[in-house]
Amino acid sequence: MIELYHVWKQYQKPNWALSDITLQVKKGEFCFVTGPSGSGKTTLLKTIFRELYPTHGQIIIAGKNIQRIPSSRIYELRRQMGIVFQDFRLIFHKRVFENVGLPLEVVGLPRKELRRKVFNALRMVNLHHKIWEFPAGLSYGEQQRVAIARAVVNNPSIILADEPTGNLDTELAFEIIALFREINRQGATVIICTHDKEIIRRFADRAVFLHSGKLIGKETF
Amino acid sequence: MSIICLSFLVIGIFLSLSNNLQFLARQLSENLAVVFFLEKDIAPETREDVIGRIRSSPPVDRVRFVPPEEALRRFRERFPQLQDVVADLGTNPFPASIEVVLKDRAAASPDILRFMNGFRSLPGVEDVQFNQDWVEKMRSLSRLARAVGFFLGGILILASFFTISNVIRLNVFARKNEVEILRFVGATNTFIRMPFIIEGVSLGILGSLLSLALIYGVIRSFPLYLGASLGAFQDIVNFRFLTLGQSLTLVIGGAVMGLLGSLSSLSRFLKI
Repeated sequence: MIELYHVWKQYQKPNWALSDITLQVKKGEFCFVTGPSGSGKTTLLKTIFRELYPTHGQIIIAGKNIQRIPSSRIYELRRQMGIVFQDFRLIFHKRVFENVGLPLEVVGLPRKELRRKVFNALRMVNLHHKIWEFPAGLSYGEQQRVAIARAVVNNPSIILADEPTGNLDTELAFEIIALFREINRQGATVIICTHDKEIIRRFADRAVFLHSGKLIGKETF
Repeated sequence: MSIICLSFLVIGIFLSLSNNLQFLARQLSENLAVVFFLEKDIAPETREDVIGRIRSSPPVDRVRFVPPEEALRRFRERFPQLQDVVADLGTNPFPASIEVVLKDRAAASPDILRFMNGFRSLPGVEDVQFNQDWVEKMRSLSRLARAVGFFLGGILILASFFTISNVIRLNVFARKNEVEILRFVGATNTFIRMPFIIEGVSLGILGSLLSLALIYGVIRSFPLYLGASLGAFQDIVNFRFLTLGQSLTLVIGGAVMGLLGSLSSLSRFLKI
C-alpha cells in the first residue's frame, strides 16, 4: 500500500537526511520505524504525507504517485490518513469535541453524524466523559489520546505516528501503543516512528531500522 | 480599521464637496442664466418691446424685469458694508435689467451665444451678462475637488490595502498552529483561506461604513459651527451628503479592498 523507491532527501548540502530508501508497507501492516535521533525517521514520515518532497525517488500510496498530486489537491491524500505527532498538535482554544471533529468538519459532514463519530472515537480512547473539556485541562496522556481520536475519527486507511509516546511515561506509552494496535486490528495500516526499544520489543510485528538516513535493516517478528 | 476609515473619509468629503459644487453649478445654470442691462433712460415702450422679444425667444423659459430700485435694495441686502459708497454717490447707480431663465438644455447649447449677441445690439440694451463663466468655473472646481479627493484617497487606500494585508498576516502567524493542523486533517485551501478572507472583507466594509457615518456627522455639524461666519460662501461649503450610488460604491470599495488585502497576504504568507 505504501511504497518508497530509492527515496533521497537533502535539506542542505552535503548531508542527506534520507539516502536511497526503498521500502514497502503492506495494507493492514503494523510497522515501526526506529533509529537514533537524527536518523531520518520524521523526515521519512513527512515525505509519506507530503509535507516534504523527496529530492529523488518515488512514493506510491494505494497505487498513486503522490509527487504528481498538485498542492491544491493534497487534501485528498491527507483525508486518507490520520497523523499523530509527538507534541499532540491540539488546538488549545477549542474543546476536545471540536478538536476531534476537525477532520469531519473539513469534509462537511452533517452535524448529527459528526457528533456520533466524535463520540465513538473518544469512546475508543476512553475519553468520552471529557468531550467538553479544553486540552489544557487534560493530562499529557489524555491529550495524546485526543490526538489519536482525531486521527481515527474519519476511519482513515493509514495511520502515521511520529514519536507518539515521546512525552509519556512507560506505562502510558504502552497504553498508547496498545491503542494503535487496536486501530490496526480494525484494518488501518499503522506506521509508528519511535526510538523506544522496549516498545518495539513488546509490540512490533515488523520494524525497519534507520541510521544517518540509511535503511540498515528490516525485521519481522 | 482606522486607516481604512480615514481613506474613505477623505474620498467621501471631497465627493461631497464635488456634489455641492455641481449642485451650485446646476443652480446657477438653471436659475439665472442671462441678464440684459437696459439703458438708463430707456423709454417704457422700448423697454416693453425688448421684454416681449426676449420672452418670445425659443431658449427662454422665464423673464423677470428688475427695476433700478429693486437692484439697489438687493445690493444693500447683500453687501451692507458698502452702503456708504452708494449713499456718497447721491443717485442710484443701478440700471434696470431683465433677468432671463433659460430652458433646461439651452444654457449648455452653443446657440446661446448667438441668442445673446442677437439681443446685445437691440435698441435699449446696454449690456448682456451670461453667467456661463461662473457655471464653467463651478464645474471645473467640482471636477478638481473630485480629482483631488480621489488622488488623496487613492494614496490612503493604498495604505489601507497594506494595513489590511499586514493585519491578516499577523492573524495568519497567530493561527499558524491551527492552519497547520487543518492542512494535516485534509482541509482544502478554500476552507483554510475563508475565515481570513471574511475578516479582511469585514474590516473593509466596517471601515467604509464608519467613514460614511463620520461624513454624515461632519456635514450635519459643519453649518452649526462655521456656517454663519462664512457669509456668502456658506452655499459653497454647505456640504451635501453623498448620493446612494456613491455611498454604495464606497462600501463596495471597502469590501473589495479588504478582499484584495486578504488575498495578497494569504498568497504571500500562507503559501496556499
